[in-house]
Amino acid sequence: MAFIKLNDLEIEVEDGTNIVEAAREHDIEVPHYCYHSGLSRPANCRMCLVEPYGPIPGAPPGTIGPARQLATGCTLTVRSAPPERKLEEKYDAIVRTDSERVIKAREDILEFLLVHHPLDCPVCDQAGECDLQDFSYRHGHDKSRYLEVKNVPPKKDLGPDVLLYSTRCIVCTRCIRFCDEVSGSGELGLINRGSHDEIDIPRSHEGIPIQLLDNKLAGNVVDICPVGALISKDFLFKSRPWFMEKANSVCSGCSVGCNVTVEYKTDGVYRIKPRFHEDINQHWMCDDGRLGYHYVNSDDRLQLPQKRVDGELVTTQWADALTLIAENLSEVDAADIVVIGSAQGTNEDNYVLQQFAHDVLKTTQLGLFGQLPGEEHKFPQFTIEADKNPNTAGARTILGSANGNVVLEGDALWEKVAGAKVVYLVSGVPERALEDAEREALEKVDFLIAQDVLPSAVTELADVVLPGTTFAEKDGTFTNSTGWVQRIRKTIDPPGEAQVDWEITQQLAKQLGGEIDYHFAGEIAIAIAENVAGYGDATHQNIGDAGIKLD
Amino acid sequence: MVQERRILYEHLDTPNINTYDVFRQHDGYTRFEKAIAEYQPEEIADMVKEAGLKGRGGAGFSTGEKWSFVPRDIEPRYLCCNADESEPGTFSNRYVLEKNPHLLIEGILICCYAMGIETTYVYIRGEFTLGKKMLDAAIKEAYEQGYLGENVRDTGLNINIYTHPGAGAYICGEETGLIESLEGKRGQPRNKPPFPAVQGVFMKPTVVQNVETLCNLPFIVGNGVEWYTQMGPTYGDARFDPPKADPNTGTKLYCISGDVNEPGVYELDLGLTCTELIEVAGGLRGEEVKAVIPGGSSAPILTHYELDTRLDFTSLTLAKSMLGSGGIIVMNETRNIVDCLLNIMKFYAHESCGQCTPCRWGTPWVRDIVQRIADGDGRQTTITRPKFGVTESGRWGDTGETEEIYEDLDLLENVANNIANVDTMTWNTICVFGIAVSWPAVSYMRKFRPEFEAAIREGKLVTLPVAEATVPPEENYAYQQRIIPKEFADL
Ligand SMILES: Cc1cc2nc3c(=O)[nH]c(=O)nc-3n(C[C@H](O)[C@H](O)[C@H](O)COP(=O)(O)O)c2cc1C
Ligand code: SF4
Ligand code: SF4
Ligand code: SF4
Ligand code: FES
Repeated sequence: MAFIKLNDLEIEVEDGTNIVEAAREHDIEVPHYCYHSGLSRPANCRMCLVEPYGPIPGAPPGTIGPARQLATGCTLTVRSAPPERKLEEKYDAIVRTDSERVIKAREDILEFLLVHHPLDCPVCDQAGECDLQDFSYRHGHDKSRYLEVKNVPPKKDLGPDVLLYSTRCIVCTRCIRFCDEVSGSGELGLINRGSHDEIDIPRSHEGIPIQLLDNKLAGNVVDICPVGALISKDFLFKSRPWFMEKANSVCSGCSVGCNVTVEYKTDGVYRIKPRFHEDINQHWMCDDGRLGYHYVNSDDRLQLPQKRVDGELVTTQWADALTLIAENLSEVDAADIVVIGSAQGTNEDNYVLQQFAHDVLKTTQLGLFGQLPGEEHKFPQFTIEADKNPNTAGARTILGSANGNVVLEGDALWEKVAGAKVVYLVSGVPERALEDAEREALEKVDFLIAQDVLPSAVTELADVVLPGTTFAEKDGTFTNSTGWVQRIRKTIDPPGEAQVDWEITQQLAKQLGGEIDYHFAGEIAIAIAENVAGYGDATHQNIGDAGIKLD
Repeated sequence: MVQERRILYEHLDTPNINTYDVFRQHDGYTRFEKAIAEYQPEEIADMVKEAGLKGRGGAGFSTGEKWSFVPRDIEPRYLCCNADESEPGTFSNRYVLEKNPHLLIEGILICCYAMGIETTYVYIRGEFTLGKKMLDAAIKEAYEQGYLGENVRDTGLNINIYTHPGAGAYICGEETGLIESLEGKRGQPRNKPPFPAVQGVFMKPTVVQNVETLCNLPFIVGNGVEWYTQMGPTYGDARFDPPKADPNTGTKLYCISGDVNEPGVYELDLGLTCTELIEVAGGLRGEEVKAVIPGGSSAPILTHYELDTRLDFTSLTLAKSMLGSGGIIVMNETRNIVDCLLNIMKFYAHESCGQCTPCRWGTPWVRDIVQRIADGDGRQTTITRPKFGVTESGRWGDTGETEEIYEDLDLLENVANNIANVDTMTWNTICVFGIAVSWPAVSYMRKFRPEFEAAIREGKLVTLPVAEATVPPEENYAYQQRIIPKEFADL
């Protein structure tokens, strides 16, 4: 630990911490652009200048004063110093972030940053979450002294989801460093020189792109761009950031379990951005996860239960659907029933489902359904996993948690399904095609209850369809592939009369005289903590925003 | 009349000195052989320090001191010879490369021996195609003669030299920009520390040295420290006496251009005055000296009042200018200083590497302001403000003085100083290119302010008579504060 004096505070910080971070920990703002804690530090924006103190050359020993040159706070790291090098006999460093020189330097740098800047905030997506706006407001001038002509570099289409408004770029090179260091794909670079610096992708002499910014992590450059230069096509002109609500959640795209913020309004989800988690995703997420939310807002979402009449699915009332299901379930032996949970569902959904199967239907034949595996993608600092479900680990453990429960997967499951009379399949997996064996097995089932979010290959075969919910519409927890239990949070209301999956299961249980009676997901988590091995601490309260890791 | 003292350039005009045989006839490589035979590597380093050799590339930093920062326990170490000579007004390295390349190789060999270095990169300005060709040929010969390669002349030393052409960027002359470029990256200077002496080429300890600096080594070794330290300024004027610890020894290849009758490179002892130098270069072309740029275009300009300034590292530092690369540009009464500044600013705005904010966007801004002034669109306001004084009627009261405000001159000075402040010698940039921009901008404007004001007032460039154009020394900022900003070397 280093003991430093920062302005008038005496603070302890880890060895190797830079001044930007040390100050941030104590709510002192050191404005910065090029520095990003997940990337290398070129110290090129010069925004983070601070005033270090040290011995004054030529003065009597022990005289401490401000250094002649300001230093960049992003690269000025502090370390515990040997006794003879301590300042004022106790400090490992003395740094001011509020001296006149620092304040002037910030004004000067901001003035330079704005000379060629278009200041088109009214039509800029970044407005409201723009570091250039914010720091200019807090540390800059209120007038421009620049009378000359501004550079107007062209707007560029960099790749499937990323646009570059070059005029707004402050050449911090964060985006370049991301592609070099995190994704390792190196699509971005600087062209031209000096005030004509532009970010670009490789192009032929005619300007035709040779390589697009199309790696699966490309969307992150939009997040880390401190200004509105890099813009997501998906989000372009959709909303002002301050009109959206935000909820801390977890991505449902794969079993990595990236921490995310879901931004939404009452009419739907607007965008998903990664949220820092040291052990899971750092600052990043992949584009599949980032852009994979659109099905939530789909007009085709299942809104009412459906039943099959004369071979056609027709909408019906919840009461009718539940009665119909209850009749069919009570007519068959427990041995002829298979209950299938979803790796897209929360631990809570699956816990209630297995409780329903075990305690009410008295069957121990459970299965696990989920998205078909995709490809694994490895990057220097990130891995996208092949398992495209957020909760395979959790669902598997929890479905199998009651005595005697057998959780079947793959061929074994479909063999069992082919021989069953009634199957209750909770899917909620968007765009899930059925493989031949799966389809054949499901076709053989006498009575198929499908709980899903969109019309799908599964609902096509179903006798009753129950409208469930997506990750965006419910509270609960996911367990990722490395054993982190993390919370997702309800953002928007489910469409129409769709209901949270565990609530549907619980109503079915009640219809059949079962005694399952939870009021909110947190209550189920407490039951999980009590009953499922390893989940002892995994209550919502304990999990919080950071998640907890199972042993 | 001052005489040239040709040491580095002694054999410049000797026919075929670029070949090994002729070079050898004129003591070629004997100094290297002497170094190996008579001295330990550390002794050579000490000699260089004692000789007081200062870097000739621009910063004027003590070469011996720089060598002492190189950690000798980290392998490999590199030598980088800076032959990127691109400072406007500078053209002395070029002749060494084109005419006497073996001298440079000998210098490199001595440095490699002193520092235990096996690999040298010579980074040559891209435009120097002939220089590179000649050096490459000389290197080939040196390999053939066994002065390069494995086991040099049976001494057990392995020394290799690689030449690398630049691609036309001025900033690749800055030592860390050079290293980045050499490594195949964009030529953008690095943040310092770490300095190249500790982490340079491929992040290994690296000595970066100018061609001329290296060419001094054979003579220091060959003729001894005492001989070398005799060359240099003899000071009579106490005002200019340099501190003992700050020697200015040896000769300098002064590149004299502009309004002189015989422009060219002159090898002279350090410490001659501007007047003497102009005389050496065949005298002034024109009536009067208006201004002298003493050390390449980035050096603050000297006025005709300052012609007694000695052209050595210390004296010029005291005069708040610098010897820099030794590129001396003389201007006569016909030159318009606003136009000169515009020319220089166009160069810097074009050459900024664009890495850091103040320089990337400040330098073109400064250029644009000067351009506006030169175009006659400079801004000026006349304001009347109440002033307490003796009025016409002889009583105390408001004299209602008017004052001319030249907004654009204030803006020019302010913007330039925001890139790098010439008064406090502080800068917020990554490299000292920033000060190379603001030094000329501020010094030209302050020292020749009447000419800038005239351009704004008249709406066009006006060349004033020398006496009118120049701000007298009492008001000239260079004389106000005589501090020695020791660290202003770009180290
Ligand atoms: C913008 C800039 C341009 C420079 N250009 C050159 C150059 O062209 N040649 C050179 O030798 N040194 C140049 N230098 C100085 C080098 O950074 C470095 O100080 C020098 O090569 C060290 O060698 P020396 O100690 O032998 O002078 C330049 C410095 C700056 C800041
Ligand atoms: S980048 Fe920021 S400052 Fe620039 S136009 Fe957009 S919101 Fe405004
Ligand atoms: S596009 Fe954005 S992230 Fe990239 S250099 Fe410009 S401002 Fe920085
Ligand atoms: S000061 Fe100028 S030349 Fe030097 S690093 Fe910054 S932008 Fe590049
Ligand atoms: S954040 Fe430190 S220089 Fe950019």
